Amino acid sequence: MSEVRALVLTGFGLNCDLETAHAFELAGARAIRMHINALIAAPQGLDACQILVFGGGFSWGDDHGAGVLQAVRLKTHMGARIRDFVAAGNLVIGICNGFQTLVNFGLLPGIDGDYQARRVALTYNDCGNFRDAWVHLRVNPDSPCVFTRGLEQLELPVRHGEGKFFASDETLARLASGRQIVLQYARADGRRAGGRFPENPNGSVRDIAGICDPTGRVFGLMPHPEAYHHFTNHPDWPRRCQRSLRTQEKTPTGEVLGVRLFENAVAYLRARS
Amino acid sequence: MPFQLEVTLKPGLFDAEGAAIRRKALDYFGIELSSVRAIQILTIDADLDAAQLETLRKEVFTNPVTQVSSFRPLAVDFDWTIWVGLRPGVRDNAGSTAAEAIEDILGIRLGKDEGVYTSRRYCICSRSLDERQVQRIAAELLANDIIQRWQVIPAERWRPQEGIGFNIPRVVLDHSPTVATIAVDSDTRLRAISRQRGLALNPADIPTIRAYFRDPQVRAARAAVGLSDPTDVELEYISQARSDHCNHNTFRGRFVYRDLDSGREEVVDNLFKTCIEAPTLVLKAKKPWVMSVLWDNAGVGRFDEDHLYVITGETHNSPSNMEAYGGAITGIVGVYRDPMGTGKGARLVMGAYGFCVGPRDYAGTLSPRLHPRRLLDGVIEGVRDGGNKSGIPTVFGQVTFDAGYLGKSLVFVTAVGIMPAEIEGRPSYLKETRPGQLIVMCGGRVGKDGIHGVTAASEVFSEHTPAGHVQIGDPYTQKKMHDFLLQARDEGLIRFITDNGGGGLSSSVGESARFANGCEVDLERVPLKYAGLDQWEIWVSESQERMTVAVAPEDIERFMELSALHAVESTVIGRYTDSGKLHIRYAGETCAYVDLDLPTAGFPQWEFEAHWRSPESRGLCEPVLSPPQDYARLLKDLLARPNLCAKEWITRQYDHEVQGGSVLKPLVGSSRDVPGDAAVIRPVLRSTRGLAFSQALLPAYAAIDAYHMTTCTVDEALRRLVAVGADPAHVGGVDNFCWPSIRYDAADNPDGRFKAAQLVRSCRALKDMCRAYEIPLLSGKDSMYVDGHPQGPYGERHKVSALATLQFSAISVVADVTRCVSMEAKFAGDRIYVLGSTRNELGASEYYAHLGYLGCRVPQVRPGDCLPLYHALAAAMKQRLVASVHGIYSGGLGVHLALVAMGADLGLDIDLSKVPCHDLERDDQLLFSESAGRFVVTVAPENAGAFEKFFQGLSWGHVGQVTDTGRLHMAGLAGKRLVDEPLEALRRAWKKPFGDLI
Repeated sequence: MSEVRALVLTGFGLNCDLETAHAFELAGARAIRMHINALIAAPQGLDACQILVFGGGFSWGDDHGAGVLQAVRLKTHMGARIRDFVAAGNLVIGICNGFQTLVNFGLLPGIDGDYQARRVALTYNDCGNFRDAWVHLRVNPDSPCVFTRGLEQLELPVRHGEGKFFASDETLARLASGRQIVLQYARADGRRAGGRFPENPNGSVRDIAGICDPTGRVFGLMPHPEAYHHFTNHPDWPRRCQRSLRTQEKTPTGEVLGVRLFENAVAYLRARS
Repeated sequence: MPFQLEVTLKPGLFDAEGAAIRRKALDYFGIELSSVRAIQILTIDADLDAAQLETLRKEVFTNPVTQVSSFRPLAVDFDWTIWVGLRPGVRDNAGSTAAEAIEDILGIRLGKDEGVYTSRRYCICSRSLDERQVQRIAAELLANDIIQRWQVIPAERWRPQEGIGFNIPRVVLDHSPTVATIAVDSDTRLRAISRQRGLALNPADIPTIRAYFRDPQVRAARAAVGLSDPTDVELEYISQARSDHCNHNTFRGRFVYRDLDSGREEVVDNLFKTCIEAPTLVLKAKKPWVMSVLWDNAGVGRFDEDHLYVITGETHNSPSNMEAYGGAITGIVGVYRDPMGTGKGARLVMGAYGFCVGPRDYAGTLSPRLHPRRLLDGVIEGVRDGGNKSGIPTVFGQVTFDAGYLGKSLVFVTAVGIMPAEIEGRPSYLKETRPGQLIVMCGGRVGKDGIHGVTAASEVFSEHTPAGHVQIGDPYTQKKMHDFLLQARDEGLIRFITDNGGGGLSSSVGESARFANGCEVDLERVPLKYAGLDQWEIWVSESQERMTVAVAPEDIERFMELSALHAVESTVIGRYTDSGKLHIRYAGETCAYVDLDLPTAGFPQWEFEAHWRSPESRGLCEPVLSPPQDYARLLKDLLARPNLCAKEWITRQYDHEVQGGSVLKPLVGSSRDVPGDAAVIRPVLRSTRGLAFSQALLPAYAAIDAYHMTTCTVDEALRRLVAVGADPAHVGGVDNFCWPSIRYDAADNPDGRFKAAQLVRSCRALKDMCRAYEIPLLSGKDSMYVDGHPQGPYGERHKVSALATLQFSAISVVADVTRCVSMEAKFAGDRIYVLGSTRNELGASEYYAHLGYLGCRVPQVRPGDCLPLYHALAAAMKQRLVASVHGIYSGGLGVHLALVAMGADLGLDIDLSKVPCHDLERDDQLLFSESAGRFVVTVAPENAGAFEKFFQGLSWGHVGQVTDTGRLHMAGLAGKRLVDEPLEALRRAWKKPFGDLI
């Protein structure tokens, strides 16, 4: 495959499209920002892409459950087309509002290949408010998720008011046994947050921050990997910079872990072809 | 037939909204509630069948995992239930997105009499509650009677089948639009009409207005289009255009300034021209990065070869005092339209806020309309939703508490945008309208919103009259419009763009038509929220989320196509002409026909008397105070003062990282909980060039002298930028004045002349500082009537005037963001320096205020000392010689050393005898003086020599070192231990007031 193309949805109150497209380009993909209406009007645009990106924002103002109306609109106008896109072996990522959209659309959790049922929810944070803070994340090494391959721990910002992951015990058991729980909120030392605020910023059950479908090709997460595409995005960079200047006499350029998720996606698609 | 869907969380699931209400009821009123559950109600007033309703219930409005719902009242237990819904005409954002979803999934269009409305029902369990307490929860926590209605029902009166019943807030105006003609045969008559209609015409303007309409030439021209005496559309237009808000009559006024100490009198003609415009034009000529100032909706500076940045600041005070959430969200969403309407249009890249409110724990005898605590909650949430839902990071903010804001609190909002330097080969900051171009209104629809501002607030409400004077901003509609307009701009379709703010179309069309020299508008084309508006109302309505755009006829098809793609309503409402006239028609009949330059021509200047007395002659003096003995406790108590303590709960509610360009966040340090000096962002993601932004507010100093309040405010804003690594040679400023009324009136405003003198002094200080620091004023606004009349304990009303307040915002370009530094110390063993001299300047300090004093010796700025120091520091930072920099602001050295230590989670060992100072011999003066021009800097030992070289001949001292003890240790001037306190103790004190809030 000469070029990996990521289609980043825009419009109707979505707002992370520029930096999400930028992060994909840093990862070597070509990012195409497309208005939801433009895609609905010409859904064949999807066929030229291998990654469909549901990014962050407040689609339709998030007035009736975050991501709900975006899911309804896409399901109504091109639900089958998007399910075919997944079945064809392509990748889907939903970040924050995009994750909320995926669970309301039914692309996640996709248990038993059912990509229509709403079985998990992202609801109001237990803390009662929108919250912007960086969190530590544990990556499940056994997960089939193609985006997190080779990663063990991550730090990313969360920025949401409705990020509390919730599902019935039965669904949780299925997610666990299917190794679909990809990311969990953690303490700085890598142990699970154990529900403790602010390490678990929203009260998510089992500290769940991100899940994938059974194939590992559909991935949703509340934290924002695209907001960590440059080393100066990290809150500790001024300190790291000082340390690096004193030990190596240069500024750090180091690995920026947010972009790794997108690089993994690009690498997977290149390998597939 | 209407249907009502109730939706709530499944039993057993945690109700975060209910929990917040319980907590507030207990904290605010001492009322204990055992449980609160919230039910969302969707009232669908449309003709739908059972299958359609069930589709909506299941597919759209109910989450099968977490919620239950029913078209019959839900059986949720309660002792009391409170229903809260919006009044007719109040913007229902959730209702309109629900309507959008219903149309989309069902493939229908709702009829013009159909609608969807949202409301809420709260189910409260608590055995001991009485109706008075429930009413209080409704009126003071859940609802505001200006925009909402409520019902309180006890369990025993509840009818489980009927539930709350239907409350449909549809606007019905049984009115045919009519144009009134107003006779102008005498000044008295016009004055009376102005009063009756709430036109607020200035009495001094009335003869000029009459003379215009009596001019035979004017009358002949008007007769040709069927007009004689002025119409209400015309007088409303003049009233808007001549208002202080639009025309800045106060700042353009003539001040007779008398120094009562010396008896000297002088005339200051036009503060705007002499103190703002003149120095800015001089600097613009000198600084090629200043691209566009003083005429557009915002100022423009150069960011890099290919990009320009755009900045402006606004206040939204009066509406926020009536309805805090609505006022604040309308304010921030409104200021975001200014960069969108600057040049050919900018993309928004950051916002900032400043709140000035009464004490959060106010327990005095005055009863402002909203208690400061509730008001602050509301403005925080308004700015939160307005910023977050716009996808614009809120990267900086400040809160100042003072009892003077009990009369009227202040909500400052600032916006920064970025645009390409050129659009289709032409500079993006230039724009003009030309005859023949079409006038297009984009975005929201027009209702009775904001007409005559808040004077309407005292009107009696009927069942279906719109309560439109207090608006609720709609960031969703505006974000769609923002995305659309940027695409239209990039395709070269926009010839001119401006926003509809104060004055609505009258202002946006009137001002844009001056370039072409004329316009014709057909008011019946303007899309309305509901029928029945009079022509003048359409013309001056301040309905939000609208822009006015000039589009060439050949581009209109593509423009409309893009508008439809983005689901934005755009309408051609007229065209620009070169007739010299503002020509407005309704259904073909002319209803206004005046010369375009009428509002600017021939009106008399406002005049003010200003009387100044020095602080000493006003009787201010220094307190007689012996040195304290317990410095550790004093320091902790200062850290816990509301104006100094941690306010993390506010910062974290704001998305400060969206757009991915965050470099220095509002909270920094190893525990990420200490406020940084300034924010730094990378607005162009491919570049490591950045924008640094800061603001300062020091109203307390104005109680001594507004001159020094102003100089210190400007100095602090600049110093904050220097602290993070900005270039002091490229700094732009934005001034936002909020002043109590300055017009003298023996009964109503007996100290008006003093307040006028404060304004004159403040403007002069601004001029002096901008010249000295070479800061052009890229933008600015004034809000002149910051007074309120809260009720006292006996039914009497007290006039409460705010402190003379100036918020100063500063912005700078950072050439390489990787050279920025944060404020916290970095490593044990680093040297600590204090730059700049500390003087005996404790007047209006937090220390004095803590002990109940004002004092007299207010800090003064000495630019000749400061500027070389700032440049030296900037040069040292450029060479990466410093590990951290933090300015010393309110609270003084002691407080700010504590912040540097807490940010680092490292100890500091300080010898106060090494701190550079002037005329000082006491530890408390050294620790708590608020002298301007100072920094705390930490430097790696190996860089110390190189660092110190930059400061030869300047004021600096090597005052100690960073330690790994985890304690703040300070030795006093006499060498004795003054403070030796663990950081946890300092942090606990600092977080005590608001640390539990989330």
